[in-house]
Amino acid sequence: MKVNILYLIPLLLLFGCGEKQTVARYTSWQSSQTEEKIIRQTLRNFEKKYPNISYQFQPIPGNYTEKLQLMLGTGKAPDLFWLKGDTSPAYMSFDVLEPLDSFLEQDTDFEIDDFFPVFRDAFKYRGKNYGVAKDFNAYVLFYNKRMFAEAGLDTVPTTWQELYTFSKKLTKDTNGDGKIDQYGFVIEPSIDIVMPFAYQNGGEIITEDGEIKIGEPEFIEATEFMMSLYRDGIATNPADVGAGWMGDVFSRRQCAMAISGAWLIPYLKDNAPNLEYGVVELPRGKRKATLAFSVAMVIPKQSTHKEDAWQMLSYLSGKEGMKTWTESGIALPTRKSVAEENGFYQDSLYSVFMKSVDYAKLYKVNMQERWFDDSQAAMQGIFYKKKDIAQTLQELAVTLEKYKLD
Amino acid sequence: MKFKSRKKEQFFWGYLFLAFPLLLLTVFVFFPIGFAFAVSFFDWNLLIPDKPFVGLGNYIELFKDPVFIKAIKNTIIYTAGVVPVQTLLSLFLAFIMNQKIRGRAFFRTAFYIPAITSSVVTSIIFVWIYSKPGLLNYLLNSAGIESNIDWLTNPLTVLPSIMMLNIWTTSGYFMVSFLAGLQNIPSSLYEAAKIDGANQWQQFWKITVPMVRPVTYFVVIMSLIGCFQVFDQIFIMSSGGPDNASTTMSYFVYQNSFKYFRFGFGAASAAILALLIFATTVIQKKYFPPDAY
Repeated sequence: MKVNILYLIPLLLLFGCGEKQTVARYTSWQSSQTEEKIIRQTLRNFEKKYPNISYQFQPIPGNYTEKLQLMLGTGKAPDLFWLKGDTSPAYMSFDVLEPLDSFLEQDTDFEIDDFFPVFRDAFKYRGKNYGVAKDFNAYVLFYNKRMFAEAGLDTVPTTWQELYTFSKKLTKDTNGDGKIDQYGFVIEPSIDIVMPFAYQNGGEIITEDGEIKIGEPEFIEATEFMMSLYRDGIATNPADVGAGWMGDVFSRRQCAMAISGAWLIPYLKDNAPNLEYGVVELPRGKRKATLAFSVAMVIPKQSTHKEDAWQMLSYLSGKEGMKTWTESGIALPTRKSVAEENGFYQDSLYSVFMKSVDYAKLYKVNMQERWFDDSQAAMQGIFYKKKDIAQTLQELAVTLEKYKLD
Repeated sequence: MKFKSRKKEQFFWGYLFLAFPLLLLTVFVFFPIGFAFAVSFFDWNLLIPDKPFVGLGNYIELFKDPVFIKAIKNTIIYTAGVVPVQTLLSLFLAFIMNQKIRGRAFFRTAFYIPAITSSVVTSIIFVWIYSKPGLLNYLLNSAGIESNIDWLTNPLTVLPSIMMLNIWTTSGYFMVSFLAGLQNIPSSLYEAAKIDGANQWQQFWKITVPMVRPVTYFVVIMSLIGCFQVFDQIFIMSSGGPDNASTTMSYFVYQNSFKYFRFGFGAASAAILALLIFATTVIQKKYFPPDAY
């Protein structure tokens, strides 16, 4: 232990002090090599167009949120960085981000109105825009075409009731050993799986005015519906079949339907290239709804290169940059014009996501970060300990009161 | 240099040599400890310049927080389960490894390897072993015990499962300490006992156990501290779940400090953890001193 520290000292003395930022720094995470390749391609295009802006690209490979927090806290934050939609309310409430409204007004080429309405004001807090939604993903329903055909089903489920009956028909013991090895559906004890169904049922976690609604009948009903699929044995759970996540269960052909975002498409290409699947909109409840995930590009208040950072943001989330970033389909564009140019409205898979955008609700809950872990614990209690759903959610509603942002 | 007395000269040189390590310890250990304690009295958000003093506010909130209470409970269960088993097992292993058995070097290595393997690696391996189609269920079923649970998502089994892993990884490490202790026991004691007609079992309890008492003291303290601070296995294997069934105090500290932006609250829970470790060590020193038998 002491030896380690001894070695560190000269290093710290050499590199730790007097670090001066002379150019704008851009930071992102990287979840795959494909992603990194496209980011670098986009940046090369940017350099060609804006040769006068010098910048540094500093990706953070792991523990992104933790590292970013420390960088912001010690005044060393990058000038432009990615911020996950679900962590954005906390950052916006801490007042560490630069409002982008004046940039948005001056930069007439940017055309914020080109963005889908749900993303246009996605990162607005107290009347100010703090980020631009760089891309998105949304929950849709993936289904296994062969299993549907085997069960004699030639339509897809469009309502809750159908989701239930279809799951029941698709659950079976294929090899006759007395154990079910094909489930109709798969769910995880996770709040974000319940959320789209709660929205469809008119429920909400917290309203715009800050009223907590997770303990209300609408939310409880949706949770009960999702749980009934599992408790009645027609949906499985990744842990039950030794899979890592829901998409993994689907790729192993252990379930006929799964909710997922577009990230499942490249995963299936790599892990189950022969699986024939289709993508449809989520079955609807009282109304259509789904959950959209987005990532913001933001500029911190402490940045000393705000003009350059905006220039970068404006290019990367502009029509040109977003096209390069999204045309391969690793992410979906938040601009309507880019979606059209990419031909996503004609594509049998991507058009479903584009349709979902019209009624999707952004996954961004205006509460302190801890709301998520407490809600997750409640879901796990319901799932694994068979706790009473209504009571658990009502208790959760009381707990969440503490996490309102002031 | 001239010194008034030999004592003063020794004093000077002694501290001169100590100065550098002491400086480092102050900068990297003593100061952070003190600072963390001070932070626990503030509402300390790294991202907000305004850090108001809240006095004992964080501590009061802690004891009203059901997750923290659960974390204390889990940590105590974890420690109470792991420490005795681990100590006995490592002493037992050391006792066997001290005999002249065939393949001794191989077994010593085999038992020590888990201790030098990264905890991240062992945790990931055990995630697979404990999964529903994993090795543990396979072995149990082969042995005729019907078992079809996922050990890490079952609220009843998650903590014991992680305890088992920890016992497995650290027993080898403490075995080496015990081995050193065993080799210091003069063989004349055993010879005398044999002449008196004591069997192996009696020799173990009447000679080995009392003679390695200083080592046992060291092992118990080190494993107590290690258990109270358990973090990596929880972080990788269960993230504290399901339903906080495996949330430990260290994990709670991490969550609050680095995920919820609440360094003051996190520091307060760390202070409680430190107090708990300190109290346990003091009790041990008072009632089970290393040199009494």
